[in-house]
Amino acid sequence: MTQPTRQAAAEQKRRTPMGTVHVVDPHPLNWLYITWNTMEEPVRTDERGHIVGAAMEDAHWEGSTLVVKVREGIRFQDGEPLTAHSVKRAFDEVQKWRAPHPPGTYLNFHPDTRVEVPDDYTIRFEFPEPDGLALAKFRGFHIASTRFWEEEGFGYRKYGTGEGHW
Amino acid sequence: MPTNLPRSDRVILEANPDHWNKERGPRLERVVFRNDIDHAEALDLVCDTEGEIDIVTEVSPADAARVENSEHAYLVSIDAMRVVSGLINRNAEFMVDVRVRKALNLAVDRDRLISDVFLGYAHPVAAMAPPYSWESPDDLEPYPHDAGEARRLLSEAGWPRDRALRLAATTEVEALARHLADDFRDALGIEVDLTVIPDEDVRPAQKTLVEKNLPLNFDVLVHAWFDLAAGYPPAVIHREYYFSGGAFRAGPPVPEFEDLMGRSVVETDAQKLGELGKEIDRLVHDEALSVFLCCPQSLVAVNNHVDFTGHAATFELAETEVSAEHWSRRNGG
Repeated sequence: MTQPTRQAAAEQKRRTPMGTVHVVDPHPLNWLYITWNTMEEPVRTDERGHIVGAAMEDAHWEGSTLVVKVREGIRFQDGEPLTAHSVKRAFDEVQKWRAPHPPGTYLNFHPDTRVEVPDDYTIRFEFPEPDGLALAKFRGFHIASTRFWEEEGFGYRKYGTGEGHW
Repeated sequence: MPTNLPRSDRVILEANPDHWNKERGPRLERVVFRNDIDHAEALDLVCDTEGEIDIVTEVSPADAARVENSEHAYLVSIDAMRVVSGLINRNAEFMVDVRVRKALNLAVDRDRLISDVFLGYAHPVAAMAPPYSWESPDDLEPYPHDAGEARRLLSEAGWPRDRALRLAATTEVEALARHLADDFRDALGIEVDLTVIPDEDVRPAQKTLVEKNLPLNFDVLVHAWFDLAAGYPPAVIHREYYFSGGAFRAGPPVPEFEDLMGRSVVETDAQKLGELGKEIDRLVHDEALSVFLCCPQSLVAVNNHVDFTGHAATFELAETEVSAEHWSRRNGG
């Protein structure tokens, strides 16, 4: 029943989105699922839950520094290009807060982490010590356009803070 | 987590046709999250009608057959990154003894529990990592159901015959807890006092568990949790239950566990990290730090004309599409 449409989609890489679905999702993490359906992150999870690159095209470690190659050609919904500067902005916004992630502070990066942007599509995360969970943390690292941070932010407009609300 | 904040009646997502990942999606023009319909009604609508509700998540095992037999919907079962366990309060008398904790694990008939409570829609688990979460198979097996050995270990640990096991649960896992209580009574020959926490008391109970300032009034709490990705369950699951900074840790930190977690958080080699994760899973199994139960599948009811792609760790719709027979496309919509 469903196989032919999947194969057709794989063959036709550029296709126009079609149709509407109505969804009832009572799961308590629905707010997070909607975030993942709408925002860019360095990585995402595939169907089996394994982490794969998304806005991050590649990454490697140089000691305790994680060097991330940002995928070129990504644009936010408002047309602004996603670059290493967008990643840095998202990092800076989140680092302001002690507990910005509702799932827990384990998603925080070390407060002494420094970030450098040597070019538009490279970003270097200089951690005080190697962070074995950095890629997992990237799953909760939401990258947004300038307009999002200026006008909305995570809770900024409603709560006046970006701390996680639990 | 802000999981119970009020939701707006509807949340509408519109496709970004310029998204970079053309191969993946979006394949739908629009997704409407309906929060103005309760779950039971939504299930009626997806099973019995077309054009109302296309996807309903969190279908209970009890409703699975209804979906499978419905005219308009089919059932998708997903090996989800979810785990249900008995959280052991190691601060309680006798619960610090590994023999008691192993006895509790040996008392559980996991196959029957999965068959009776989850109607088969769950996987037994040896420790806390879902069995499909690793890159390669592991040789760790679930504790067998062995009532004789369970009773022997409990006796050896000096458990008094008149000491009832204090089992607690929230309403969402009450059926599982009742089944578990029967297993403990039958296998161990002891009484079990089951406390089902009323919904209105869950928040303060959670606070007590997380803050760790007050003694906990249970020996075992039936508890459900999840991971946000596969590949390294200790980061989200084991850490919360056993690490010194874990929200659900109920007992003294375990030095071996602290050492392994300390090594893993600075390990940037994926293969070595995976090996550390397996060591952690084996440690919690060997020490029986929880009553390991099962990993429930995520069940989703889907309209027949929707090609839904389930995700183990999330609910995403980028790959989901509808056929030309779907109500939203039949009239050129």
